[in-house]
Amino acid sequence: MFNYSISKRKPTKRQVNEWFWGWFFIAPTIVGLIILNLIPIIQTMYLSFFRTGAFGRGNVFIGFDNYVRLFNDAQVWRATANTLLYTGLVIPISISISLVIAVLLNEKIFARTTYRTIYFIPMIAAPAAVTMVWKWLYNREFGLLNYLMDWLGLGRVDWINNPNVALISIVIIGIWSIIGYNVVLMLAGLQEIPKDYYEASVIDGAGPVSKFFHITIPLLSPTLFFITVTTIIQSMQVFDFIYMMIDVASPAYDNTVSLVYLFYNNSFKYGERGYGSAIVMLLLAIIMIITVLQMKAQKKWVNYR
Amino acid sequence: MKKRLTFLSVISVLVLLFLAACGNDSESTSENGGESDGGTDETQSGSGEEVELRFSIWDSNQESGLRQIANEFEEQNPGIKINIEVNGWGDYWTALEAGATGGSLPDVFWMHSNEIYRYASNEMLLDLNDRIQSSDVVEMDKFPEGLKSIYNFEGTQYAIPKDYDTIGLWYNKTMFDEANVSYPDDTWTWDDLYDAAKQLTKDDGSQYGILTPLHNQEGYYNFVYQNGGTIITDDKVSGYDDPKTIEALEFYVNFVLEGLSPQEFGDGERVTHLQNGLVAMGFFGSWNLTGFTENEYMAENFDVAVLPASNDGGRASIFNGLGNAIAHNTDHPDEAWKWVEYLSSEEGQTRQAELGVAISAYEGAADAWVNSNDTYDIGVFIDMVDYAQIRPYSNTTAVWEDRAYERLNGAFTNDKTVEEAAKDAAAVMNESLSQE
Repeated sequence: MFNYSISKRKPTKRQVNEWFWGWFFIAPTIVGLIILNLIPIIQTMYLSFFRTGAFGRGNVFIGFDNYVRLFNDAQVWRATANTLLYTGLVIPISISISLVIAVLLNEKIFARTTYRTIYFIPMIAAPAAVTMVWKWLYNREFGLLNYLMDWLGLGRVDWINNPNVALISIVIIGIWSIIGYNVVLMLAGLQEIPKDYYEASVIDGAGPVSKFFHITIPLLSPTLFFITVTTIIQSMQVFDFIYMMIDVASPAYDNTVSLVYLFYNNSFKYGERGYGSAIVMLLLAIIMIITVLQMKAQKKWVNYR
Repeated sequence: MKKRLTFLSVISVLVLLFLAACGNDSESTSENGGESDGGTDETQSGSGEEVELRFSIWDSNQESGLRQIANEFEEQNPGIKINIEVNGWGDYWTALEAGATGGSLPDVFWMHSNEIYRYASNEMLLDLNDRIQSSDVVEMDKFPEGLKSIYNFEGTQYAIPKDYDTIGLWYNKTMFDEANVSYPDDTWTWDDLYDAAKQLTKDDGSQYGILTPLHNQEGYYNFVYQNGGTIITDDKVSGYDDPKTIEALEFYVNFVLEGLSPQEFGDGERVTHLQNGLVAMGFFGSWNLTGFTENEYMAENFDVAVLPASNDGGRASIFNGLGNAIAHNTDHPDEAWKWVEYLSSEEGQTRQAELGVAISAYEGAADAWVNSNDTYDIGVFIDMVDYAQIRPYSNTTAVWEDRAYERLNGAFTNDKTVEEAAKDAAAVMNESLSQE
C-alpha cells in the first residue's frame, strides 16, 4: 500500500529496475526490427518518389510519377492478379491438406515420427534447389511427369512454358513446400486440445467427423488463424519459385510474373530502383489491407479459450 | 549504490554493443569489397607486400584456364595474388552493380558491350589511357577496331579487349549419317538448312532436325543480319519492324511452327537438347568450346561448321568480345594494371589462346586457339570473323533485349504472327530507346 501511493508521484527504484529489464530484454528484437525492417521500409518509400540513376547516383525527385506509371502499367496489374491468384490457390489447398495430415499424424499410427520428419523436409530445403528439382520433373522432353503422362496415354504437357498451365505448376511447388510448416504448427495446436473433450463427446455419441468439426476445428482456430495470416503474407511475396522457373523470354512470363519478381527485374535488372520501390509499396499496401481484413474477420471464427 | 553500478555497467555494455553494431555496419561495405585488402594492409605493414586482387568473371568454363594463367603471372610477380571469383551471367551483373553502388567493386573484372555504357558514363572504371600509353607490352593496334571501340567511351579506353566470339552451326554427325544427309559446309544456304532440318526430323518426336530457340545472340540475330536486316540502326532506332528483319524472323520461327525444332525459351535448357540427342543442329557461340569438349556425347558425335548464308548469299555471324576492366576505386591500381597488362600482352593473349580459354583478340593469336582443340573443326569460328557483325548494343541493351523477348515469344507459340510480334517488339524497344 505504501509503495503504491508513492509510485503515483515518482517511480520507485524497483519499478525503474523492472522497466529497465523489460526494455533490456526486448531491445534485441526492437533494434533488429528498426534496422532490418523499419528503416528499409522508409527508405523504399522515399525512393519510390525518385527516378533513380545508376549506382545510386543522380536520383531525381519526380513526385508521384512512378505511381502514375504504375497505375498505367498493364504488366503490374497482371502481376497483381497473378500474385493474388497464386495466394488464393495455395492458401486454402495447403491448409486443408495440412489439416488432414496433421490430424492423422496426431493419431497413434505406425512410425509417425518418421512421417513428421518427412513432411517437414521441404521446409528445410532451399527454395532455389527445390525449384531446380521440380523444373526437371516438369521438363517437357525428359521430365518424370511427362513420362508418366505418356505412360498413361494422356499426351505431354508443357508444364513450364504453357501460359495456361505454368501458374498451376508453380502453385503445386508452393503447396508442396509450405505443407510441412503448417503441419508442425497444427500438431502443436492439436496437442493443446485436452483429451477430456473428445472423451466427453464420445459419451455423447459423437463420431470422428463431428469430433473433427465440433472440437478440433474450433479449438484449433487460433493456430489456423495464425497460419493463415503468416502464409498469406509469405505467398504474396512469392519470388524464388517463379524466378527460378520462368525466364523473361518464356511465353508464360506474363501469366506468372509476381509483384516481387517484377520489382526485382525493375530494380536490379533494368536499374530502375524508384519504379521497383513503387511496385513494392503497392504490394505492401495490398498485404496490409488483406491482413487488416483478416484481423477484423477473426472475431467471427476464431475461438480463444 | 551497488544497483546504480550494475545499471551503469549494463547501459555501457549496451552502448558498446550498439556502437560495435554500427561500426560493423559502416565497415561492411569496405569489408565485402576488400576482405583481402584488410589482410594485405596488415601484411604490408608487417612482412612485405602481398597484394591480393579480386578478379571477377562470369564464365565457369574459362575459370581453370584463367587460373593457370594467373598462376604463371603470380610466379613472375611475387607479391601479387589473383583470386578468381565466378558468378553466373545474371548474378554477375546484379553483384557487380551492388558492388559498384556500395563502393566494393572487384579490382579487375570482365566488361560486356551491354553494360559498358552504364559503367563508363558513371565513372566506375579506371581510365586506362595513360597506362596504355606508357606500357611497353600493350599495343592497342593489335586488337580489332570494332572491339576496341566498344570499350572506348568519349575518347577514354575503359577496358582492353580480352577475346572475341562468333556463333557456329553445331551438328550431330551420327544423325546426319543416319539420315544420309551431307554435313553442313560453307556452301550451305538457308534452303539447305531447311531441307536438312526436314530430313533429320523424325515423325515420332524423338528427334528434331534443328534447335531455333528464342535467343538473340545465339539465334535469330544471325539470321537477321544474314538477310540484310538490322536490330538497331545507327540512329538508335529499333530495326525489328524492318521488312528484312521480319523476313529473317519468319524463316527462323518457321522451324518451330513446322515442328522441325522444339519450342525452347530457357537459356540453360538449350544445351541439354544437344547433349541429350534431341536435336541434330544448333547454334552456339565459340565460348561453349570447353564445355562441349568435356561432354563425352558431344565430343563423340558433334562437329561445327560456319553459319549458312541467306539464299541471296548474305553472310553474318554475331561477333562480340569481352574486355578486362579495373575498378575506379581499387586500392591497388598498379597491381591491378599489371594483371590487366599481362592479360592484354602478346604473351598473355597467346597463353589464353593456347589453353583454349577463348579466342584471343590479339592479332595472330587466334591460330593458337584453333590448335588448342582437335575435337572440333573450330577454325570456322575464325573464318567467320571476315563478315562478323558486332552484337547490337546501345546504352540500355539489357532492358530492350528483355522487352523484345517478352513480345516475340508469342510468335513461337503461334499466338500471333511473326510480323505482329516483330512490330510489337519494335514498339517497346523504341519506347525504351527514347528514354536513354
